[in-house]
Amino acid sequence: MTQELALEAHGLVKKFGGKRVVDGIDLSVPKGAIYGVLGPNGAGKTTTLRMLLGIIEPDAGHRTLMGSDSPREISDDVGYLPEERGLYPGMKCKDAIAFMGALRGLDWKTDRTRAVELMEAAGLGHAPDMKIRKLSKGMAQLVQLLGSVVHRPRFIVLDEPFSGLDPVNQERLEQLVLAERDRGATILFSTHIMAHAERLCDRLCVIAGGKRRFEGTVADARAILPMRVLYEPHHDSGDIAAILPPDARREAEGWRFTLPEEGIEQLLVRLIEAGHGISGLSIERPGLHEAFVEIVGRKTVEEMA
Amino acid sequence: MNALSRMARDTMTIARRDFMAIVATPTFLIFLLAPLIFIGFGMVGGMGGRMVGKNADSKERIYAVLDGSTARQFAATEKNLRDLFRGDSTPPDLILVKPQNHVEQQARALLAQQDRDVPAVLYGTLERPIILRHDENSGSAAYLAEVAERAARDRAAGIDRPLSTPHFVDVKRAGSSIGGTSATGVFAVTLLFVLTLMLSGQTVGTMAEERSNKVIEILAASVRLESVFLGKLIGMFGVAMLFIAFWGGLAGLMLLFVPADAFAKIQEMRPAIGLPAFGILFLAYFTMAYLLLGSVFLGIGAQASTPREIQMLSLPITIFQMAMLGLASASVALPDAPISLIARIFPFSSPFAMMGQAARSATLWPHLVAIGWQLLWVAASISIGARLFRMGVLKSAGAKRRWRRKRDREVAATAP
Repeated sequence: MTQELALEAHGLVKKFGGKRVVDGIDLSVPKGAIYGVLGPNGAGKTTTLRMLLGIIEPDAGHRTLMGSDSPREISDDVGYLPEERGLYPGMKCKDAIAFMGALRGLDWKTDRTRAVELMEAAGLGHAPDMKIRKLSKGMAQLVQLLGSVVHRPRFIVLDEPFSGLDPVNQERLEQLVLAERDRGATILFSTHIMAHAERLCDRLCVIAGGKRRFEGTVADARAILPMRVLYEPHHDSGDIAAILPPDARREAEGWRFTLPEEGIEQLLVRLIEAGHGISGLSIERPGLHEAFVEIVGRKTVEEMA
Repeated sequence: MNALSRMARDTMTIARRDFMAIVATPTFLIFLLAPLIFIGFGMVGGMGGRMVGKNADSKERIYAVLDGSTARQFAATEKNLRDLFRGDSTPPDLILVKPQNHVEQQARALLAQQDRDVPAVLYGTLERPIILRHDENSGSAAYLAEVAERAARDRAAGIDRPLSTPHFVDVKRAGSSIGGTSATGVFAVTLLFVLTLMLSGQTVGTMAEERSNKVIEILAASVRLESVFLGKLIGMFGVAMLFIAFWGGLAGLMLLFVPADAFAKIQEMRPAIGLPAFGILFLAYFTMAYLLLGSVFLGIGAQASTPREIQMLSLPITIFQMAMLGLASASVALPDAPISLIARIFPFSSPFAMMGQAARSATLWPHLVAIGWQLLWVAASISIGARLFRMGVLKSAGAKRRWRRKRDREVAATAP
């Protein structure tokens, strides 16, 4: 059974000044999913999102958003939080949210009512009449997010929604994203902060150098790397390195190495017989961060840092 | 919802936001009341100028050094002749002085007075008057000569009272006079130009706000850029109409206090097409002029990324507007010349030139054609402005046509 798709893109290409910023990207976003677009800075994430929304046109390839191959025609069903946040500083919060709703087809009166309700639900109940210029960055970002969902869109695109937020507001934002998913919306967001992607995403893709390097679930991404073992011996004497696998490295907590293909049991027997004993042992799947580094390439990540 | 009604909805959303953002600020009051500064300084300057003029006038005299019956004849003739003059063209007051022993010296002394201006002094006889003057083109000297000539004729003919007693009958003109329609044309074109000059140039910086606070990304994602441009134009047009309504209302109230003779002069300004149609056409052509020039300035201003660039654009914009006024003025002055036709056809001078045409011709259909033509150019200007913005700022071509999207789909489907 094929899953119904909210977004489908094939072979998207965008060139700026002769350089292929996006180079043949394919995307398939299932309906009702939270989908992450991961990539280092300058990978082409924002350009891809802008093409998906029809803000800019691809030089090649095509996309279908909620069944339409012209995203502009269904923009009333789409919510968008751009990477570069934009609000009119002189507007009241509720008017700013209402204005964004009006751009997507809501009438101003309904907009204002919903704006106040949304602000209360997001912990901003004290601020509907505050001017945008008086808000903190985090509050302004939340207001903009509320503006992008006030019309209850079926598809929401968030470009780097967590950047610049303190942990409290990041948590609030995560709750908002989950609430929108629970309402039935499909959410596509870009980020280079792996923790959010790991917690939120049903599926994700990794873009680097304008190309798609990976597509799948978080578990699929983590499965790219083998399981890792952290072993703490009772007696850490000189010959232990000869027993452990060649890639074993001593770290503060103990020895870390890749889980051998044949399993851990044989190795543990040898270590016990040699008198090293076991003080601690854990076998863990590498995190999304390690998988991301592996997919994108360590050099690219170092350049990004 | 079809594309047109959706565009209208989006346009009005943008227009409403812009209108409210401008009107609901203290800066708008300064904008609205700015003409008071102009009027205030104009009044002060006018009063000062008039006082200086009056002072100078009151100090100007012409003299006739004559005596006896000659002086009486000269004074009577001068009084009749003076009645022909009105307003500023009235000659300086005449002072009759009795001749002394050395008449020439006496006359020269009068001409050389330091406490007042004396442009001319007459002495001698009526048949052979001698007129001293400072300037060979002096109108006052010529006036004294003419008075002497008429006085001499009257004396020779023995006429001491008017021979003709006229009876004036006032008849209202059925149509418009050529002078009246011409004056109406010049007045209307000038007013249209001044309003457009003051108000349409403001559109140049309206996209700067969205570019600086990054709202443009949200607008571009939500609505068509053409709607953004048109909405901004309509929002600013609403502000302009509010300005005109305010000052138009005040001007209407002030008409109640205009003296009767001045009001009669206003009534003389009759457009050939009739006053109600002229008023409607004035509003229509103001709308067209505003939208046409405003859309061009908006499109150009949208390319500017800094306030400095926008400031730099104000000079070429003013020059462009002056050029349009020049074309329209030529069209009013030379209605049958080819330049008039060019001014009426060239879209950016067309509203002004057609306003002049409305003053002198009663035919209505050319105006309908002209408004249609101008609307076409408004649409073209907005479309070009949006396209340039998309290409220059968003770095993208416009949305693909349906057949292109279909072709791209097919290409992608066959790709490996």
